[in-house]
Amino acid sequence: MMLEYTEKIRKTAKKLLEDGKVDVFIGYKKGSVAMMNEPVLITNPDHVDLLYWDSNCGLNLCNYLTGRTDRVGIVANGCNSRNIVTHIVENQIKRDQLYIVGIPCKGMIDHRAVQRAVKQREILEINEEGDGFTVKGMGFEETFEKKNYLQGNCAVCTHRNPVEYDEMIAEPVEEQEGVEAYRDVEKIEEMEPGKKWGFFTRLIERCIRCYACRNACPLCYCPTCFVDESQPQWVGKSSDPTDTMTFHLLRAYHCAGRCTDCGACERVCPMGISMRQFTKKLNKDSLDLFSWEAGLTLDQRPPLDVYRPDDYNDFIK
Amino acid sequence: MKGLFEHIGIEPGRLQFSWISSAEATKFVEVARAVAKEVKALGPAGHLIKRRAEVA
Amino acid sequence: MTEKVFTKEEWTKALKGLSDAYRVFVPVKDGDFHVFKPLDEGKRPDFDFQNTRLSPKSTVYPRSERMFEYTVDENDPEANTLTESEKDYSPQAIVGIRPCDAHAFQIVKLNFDNPEYRDPWWVQHFESTTLVGLGCNEPSSTCFCTQVGGGPFNEKGLDALFYDLEESYLVRGLTEKGEEFLKKVKGGTEADDAEKKKAEELALSAPKKIDVRVPTDKLKEKVQTELFEAPFWEDVAFACLNCGTCTYLCPTCWCFDIQDEVLDKEGDRIRNWDSCMFPLFTLHGSGHNPRDKKVQRVRQRFMHKLKYYVDKYGDGVQCSGCGRCVRYCPVNIDIRQVCELMNNYG
Repeated sequence: MMLEYTEKIRKTAKKLLEDGKVDVFIGYKKGSVAMMNEPVLITNPDHVDLLYWDSNCGLNLCNYLTGRTDRVGIVANGCNSRNIVTHIVENQIKRDQLYIVGIPCKGMIDHRAVQRAVKQREILEINEEGDGFTVKGMGFEETFEKKNYLQGNCAVCTHRNPVEYDEMIAEPVEEQEGVEAYRDVEKIEEMEPGKKWGFFTRLIERCIRCYACRNACPLCYCPTCFVDESQPQWVGKSSDPTDTMTFHLLRAYHCAGRCTDCGACERVCPMGISMRQFTKKLNKDSLDLFSWEAGLTLDQRPPLDVYRPDDYNDFIK
Repeated sequence: MKGLFEHIGIEPGRLQFSWISSAEATKFVEVARAVAKEVKALGPAGHLIKRRAEVA
Repeated sequence: MTEKVFTKEEWTKALKGLSDAYRVFVPVKDGDFHVFKPLDEGKRPDFDFQNTRLSPKSTVYPRSERMFEYTVDENDPEANTLTESEKDYSPQAIVGIRPCDAHAFQIVKLNFDNPEYRDPWWVQHFESTTLVGLGCNEPSSTCFCTQVGGGPFNEKGLDALFYDLEESYLVRGLTEKGEEFLKKVKGGTEADDAEKKKAEELALSAPKKIDVRVPTDKLKEKVQTELFEAPFWEDVAFACLNCGTCTYLCPTCWCFDIQDEVLDKEGDRIRNWDSCMFPLFTLHGSGHNPRDKKVQRVRQRFMHKLKYYVDKYGDGVQCSGCGRCVRYCPVNIDIRQVCELMNNYG
């Protein structure tokens, strides 16, 4: 199936570039390391064979749209397409600049979970067949079912099909039903305050402030991020635990009501920190208190942007 | 924001919100006194307070 | 040179027995990966690892380090005077460091310890450190130390080297510091000929397992400005997120930023790792930023590592082939591919 997707993406990109419908095409090319793919920008229709799609395309290509003024062709699965919608609503790109090639997605593979499953032996090759995949390394070969090794956000995804597109390369896939997306958030809500603080302190203990999470996130497009300000300096730049907690807390808060849970932040963190625990709480509140999920429609403005008389008010004295 | 602060373990009651217009001076005084009293009762804040940088 | 053999259990016990002489750092399993941590009570060293996620450079050069302290209280006679912070430079031993990381310390030393400038914090930490390396029997597919002047059993920069002989370790002293370490380590037996032979065989066969080719031979002869203007930088830089992952994980990256932090009247001058990937890195006080575009910063990193360093020091590239950036770059930008592009350009 992935091979068919790849073929269709290449054909579509070639035609778009040849017909001059887009100036550039953004997609993925196969990585040089197993389970990794590299985002690529194609300008020449003869180079479309670089394009590739499989279940290791877990970054967010919408990140590369910010500030572009040319006409862009881009592949987008469910969550990525919702980020594109948010980008348009927030005036970061215009709809008519884009040709969105929609990709129905059954989820990306969590490469760290797979590494754990093979006890950290080095994986040299991965091959997908149907709903499973096989990994090979020195002296070992194991097959797994994809549904047991999905990225955290993919396992609870209810928007697998693109919400906005110019063409779909395949039939829509079935959306997941009855998913308990916020079970982990609820577990934390049940803890007492002392335990909660301990949980979150331990979560970000390893943070080295590389900002991969912020840079991979399509929502983080501020010309100067609050952590980089120096007059006034809101947050210190060292690895001090209070400063680090402040960074994660406020970054999550800046994504409130906008995050589509694409999982790119967790995927790119070199220290393997599960920072979706910050944004998931806000997504849950967004849903419970404002009945809002980001990026589903181009017509509505997000709740933090607009006043409605029936807005949630209980927390205000 | 209140939800997120409480979620990470800051005691409920430290961060409070109120709508007060500039014409509601009496309400402002009442709310300010009440919040100050409640927060004082929680004791010194232990979390998200930076003293000297904890570095090598 | 002393050569001793320890069973694996004996080795752990012997290391624990060094606590009076050294602060011993060993690789410890931390979640999905390994990190160098002090061998305190309750920790088990785990030498069955490929390499640590973060390089051991932080044992000599911490992520954030207080350099000076000062007071701005006008009533204090010492007001506005920087006082060097007290540090603990007692001897430490990094046991289990891989040869690529030890080689990296030598590369970094050219920057922090040379006739023109000596960084007091880095130098004092480094001089109190003994590096006891563990040779790599099974290099991984992302390793390319042999391509940049190193090797899985290369002794450059190491004070002692130990070999994993499956059931036991053979430890060999290489320098005075290494011999001193071996004198202090209790237990072990003299290595016999069979064990020495096994160690030699491991050292000979490991480099052959690295079959990747990363050409660096033509880098020196390239003209800097031509390489700078090459057309491939746009393609290389597209995916880059400009995060600090490659620079922070890299054992040969050395850049830092100095920050002053004042609370009431007491202040600290702190040094933090900085990254040329960050837009702020080259922001001038005037507001001008000579590298405000992503492609300029990405180009800068590779030129620095593979060209400027080569030209300035004539000592090969500023890379020890550890492969961390290849493995952990979130968008899979591969320095081996970029090096090939640069080497073969023109």
